[in-house]
Amino acid sequence: MRRFEFYSPRSLGEALRFLSEKGDRARVIAGGTDLIPRLREGVSQPDFVLNVLDIGELNGIKEADQALHIGATATHTQIAESPVLQRICPALTQAAASIGGPLVRNRGTIGGNIVNASPAADLACALLALDAEAVLRSEKGSRAVALGDFFTGPGQTVIRPDELLTEVTIKVPKGKGLFRKLGRRQAMSLSIVNVAVSLEMEGKICRKSRIALGSVAPTPIRCPQAEQMLANRETTPDILSKCALEAMRASRPIDDQRAKAWYRIEAGTVLLRRVLAEAAGLRA
Amino acid sequence: MLMKENLVLLKMVVNGKPVEVKVDPTWTLLYVLREELKLTGTKKGCEKGDCGACTVLLQGKPVNSCLVLALQAEGREIETIEGLGEADNLHPLQKSFIVNGAVQCGFCTAGMLLSAAALLRKNPDPTEKEIRTAISGNLCRCTGYQKIVKAIQDVAAFKD
Repeated sequence: MRRFEFYSPRSLGEALRFLSEKGDRARVIAGGTDLIPRLREGVSQPDFVLNVLDIGELNGIKEADQALHIGATATHTQIAESPVLQRICPALTQAAASIGGPLVRNRGTIGGNIVNASPAADLACALLALDAEAVLRSEKGSRAVALGDFFTGPGQTVIRPDELLTEVTIKVPKGKGLFRKLGRRQAMSLSIVNVAVSLEMEGKICRKSRIALGSVAPTPIRCPQAEQMLANRETTPDILSKCALEAMRASRPIDDQRAKAWYRIEAGTVLLRRVLAEAAGLRA
Repeated sequence: MLMKENLVLLKMVVNGKPVEVKVDPTWTLLYVLREELKLTGTKKGCEKGDCGACTVLLQGKPVNSCLVLALQAEGREIETIEGLGEADNLHPLQKSFIVNGAVQCGFCTAGMLLSAAALLRKNPDPTEKEIRTAISGNLCRCTGYQKIVKAIQDVAAFKD
């Protein structure tokens, strides 16, 4: 591993000052589940590593003002086991519980899952379907970026070197959200394809929908055309099938070591159809 | 990783004992446990968080020690396999692994035991599914897992 200096502030103010001075030569570390292998392989060669795990105010899950506030260093285990998140946004807890294994979930964080910007990031997919926002702080101020505008490519985001992702905010959703993924195994597996939906139902009529896909494009994506198909319509099995097909048209999958592009589309269509049916109350 | 310059003092608690050790910022917790503290019961496997051979308990939670920078453990409590039981006073899980033949080559065993111990402390009466989930980050290429699951079930049942 190439030599670096380690800095571990106790307060957010110190961290932001550090980033304003050295951000372009620094990498932020939280759980380290992505960064440490990258440091070891030399893919990432920062002069400074900024540890954010000792900043207490970054860790917490709160419900306030009709919104959920999830601190950037909340681990996947904390999210998966949070009673408030299980009740209000099961899509997110399902996604968190599907990541890696317990050892990884005990370290990996929501902030890392988003900032690393893997096209296959499970939390990112669920958060897109929940209209989540990422709160970015710097010494100059704070901005909230809709997750749909956050990713710009594989491993790339709008975050600036002097900014730190401090929190993810979700407005309490009215609808029912669900997440599912297909991996090569039941555990310790990156997604071949993952899907998340959120449906606001009035009886059998869908008023509003959100559909997100992961691992089938350079970033996790929303599927606006497919969402539009469901608006103010009765959610019959036929409509849901057509919606799933339409959603996959928004994808641009590639062949890689996990699966071929055609398989991602076939499997994603089936997965999405099932999840839509479950969210619409058509199946258990 | 072996140049001994710019070393930083790290204070943590390992197996109940306060420890002070000088570390390089690039060293992982796994490296410090094995090479500096000579606690070689923790195994070095894939070094990328895939295999679980390096599992230790950090603040009571099982983690891959290859994915923790040593300096991130400042002020934290670590439990390794050396802290679980002793040769003449084995932990019930260790006894059960022996009785059930849940050990073959032994490389995954330290990590398996710590994942299992963390599970039983949190959930003394787990279902088979909960056991399998708890050890899903610990790969075993010998046993096929059946005897490991059985060994953990036996300890859980014995506690009732």
